[in-house]
Amino acid sequence: MVSILLSHWMRERRNPFLLLLFIGISIIATLMFGGGMTQKMKIDVFSETGELKESEKEWLLLLNKGDTFKFRAQDEQSARTKVREGRADLAVKLTGDDYRIIAVKESPNAQLAEQHIRTVFERELELRAVSAAAGDEKGFRSRIDTYLEEPPLTLQVKGTDGEELLRYDMGLQLMFGFSLFLVMLTIGFKVNTITKDKITGIWSRLILSPVRKSEIYFGHLLYSTMIGIVQITVVFLIFRYAFNFGLGHRYGLLLLVIALYSMTIVAMCILLAGILRTPEKFNMLFPSIVPIMPLVSGVYMPPGTITSPILLGVAEIFPITHAMEALTGIAIYDNGIGELWLPLSKLILIAVLCMGIGINLMERRHV
Amino acid sequence: MLETVELRKVFKGKTAVEEVSLYLKEGESVGLIGPNGAGKSTTISMISSLLKPTAGDVRLNGQSVIKHPQQLRKVLGVVPQEIALYEELSSYENLKFFGKVYGLKGKELELKIQELLDMVGLRDRQKELIRTYSGGMKRRINIAVALMHDPKIVIMDEPTVGIDPQSRNHILDTVRHLSREKGTTVLYTSHYMEEVEQLCSRMYIMDHGRIIASGTKEELQLILSGEETLLLRLDRQHAEFTEELQTLAAVRQVEETELGLKLIVTKNHQILSRVVQAAERFDVQILNIHIDSPSLEDVFLHLTGRNLRD
Repeated sequence: MVSILLSHWMRERRNPFLLLLFIGISIIATLMFGGGMTQKMKIDVFSETGELKESEKEWLLLLNKGDTFKFRAQDEQSARTKVREGRADLAVKLTGDDYRIIAVKESPNAQLAEQHIRTVFERELELRAVSAAAGDEKGFRSRIDTYLEEPPLTLQVKGTDGEELLRYDMGLQLMFGFSLFLVMLTIGFKVNTITKDKITGIWSRLILSPVRKSEIYFGHLLYSTMIGIVQITVVFLIFRYAFNFGLGHRYGLLLLVIALYSMTIVAMCILLAGILRTPEKFNMLFPSIVPIMPLVSGVYMPPGTITSPILLGVAEIFPITHAMEALTGIAIYDNGIGELWLPLSKLILIAVLCMGIGINLMERRHV
Repeated sequence: MLETVELRKVFKGKTAVEEVSLYLKEGESVGLIGPNGAGKSTTISMISSLLKPTAGDVRLNGQSVIKHPQQLRKVLGVVPQEIALYEELSSYENLKFFGKVYGLKGKELELKIQELLDMVGLRDRQKELIRTYSGGMKRRINIAVALMHDPKIVIMDEPTVGIDPQSRNHILDTVRHLSREKGTTVLYTSHYMEEVEQLCSRMYIMDHGRIIASGTKEELQLILSGEETLLLRLDRQHAEFTEELQTLAAVRQVEETELGLKLIVTKNHQILSRVVQAAERFDVQILNIHIDSPSLEDVFLHLTGRNLRD
């Protein structure tokens, strides 16, 4: 078995580009599609008089108090050009204590921004009006600020189970999704070396050697699983430490899910290789079949988007569905092994069935 | 040393090999020849324990190895028809990998690799990737890999198909070296009769899944001992003349060649005058007549009704 691992490693060392390519694509895809989930939306602000006045700079400060938007001063022409060319959803024109939204189409981002700007302006103008009515404007604002820092009443929002209401991190979900999707391709092409070896006669050479058939299979499968674990782990570590993604604190459980998922994908690839018979067919059809799985499993969409019972049923047979459930459970909801047994059991079940049938099919057609 | 007893293989109702019995004595080189689809590769797969026979037995030193092939596998080296090598590795790395598979390591492994690279004449190119090699060089390494564990029996399945003359000579020299200097038992299959004639002391001729003749070169030639070959060089081909020759009682076979006709005829017969008379009748000019004993190719043609490379 060690010699089989060695053969894989010798070839990997000679040609590591496939592994590096898929690691790179996982990172780029997550940053491209999931980057917007963690970054603030940038909105250009300009004044009708050209330079922002002092009062308008104060409005800019107030607008920037929040996590969602980043308002920045910009000259009118470039702000309008960006909106016109579709490079920005909207821009804001400040007119003293008032504003105008510049947009060419309705969009969810523009609606959210408009809501935020209106709230900021309404609140500030109300405070100003009340302060003015109170007579002691400075003293009143100071008391209001104190109240806001230490309010007499606080409102706490909790989930139905009494726990803190968690904020769902779509960027994290996409990172998991792309990593799990791309590792399927890496593993698939590794598993396909078994059928390649059978066609080229290398398998027969190994069968005639003192290495047992079970060792040959185990060596191939172990290497494919290990390469899958390495790829996902590298991507996760890069996002954890380079991009500050929160993966929770249960790293052991994350590793367990990664290992089980990789093993299940290896089993699934064995089944496909057994059905498709030749390495050429596998190379042609496998990359066409695999992208359907995350789509049907709703990996790229917020939870609950897919409601069709048929699609949900089909998604049940895909390992990525259960691995996503387990990974988001650990990283976002801090789930322990007690909550994860169901998706993990499903992964194991799929692995056992695919491996059994797949090896049987392969053995029927070859030595 | 190694023998098969009435081997039979049926694939989905179609019989690929039927009642194949052959034997190899220790240290001898035996040829297995036959056209494409004759059943040679299936027979080799069964002998080397890669394919289970439908019926029959394979015996090593009298012991059946069908159910327990380990004993045979220890002493067997198989050179497959395909290039069973990792193309993305160098020849050195391929030999190293397969050596390790056979449990060789350290200095012993290194010495063996260099010995085999010397034997196949590729020592100076050992660091180059297999995918950059010519077809012939790949075939030479294909052989070297099969010899990593010093097998007592080597089965070679058409090792010279589609290669350059230099590599072919290297391979033939390697087989001679194995047979004469190392005392290795060799079962050699080929499309090329002259290779088998050069390398093997005995041969089996297979067609349609059966062994139709066997023996030494001389024994096989005796099949056509009462016959001789007439090579006619003609000024042109003439279909009616050819048909006329086929009707002559003494003529066993007529085959068109590049320059005329090749006839296998019964000896001691007034055949020459009849051929000349026929040529005159059809106004065909005979430029040259060459009389020869039948070759093994002729024997093959006689037995199978087709050429070896048809």
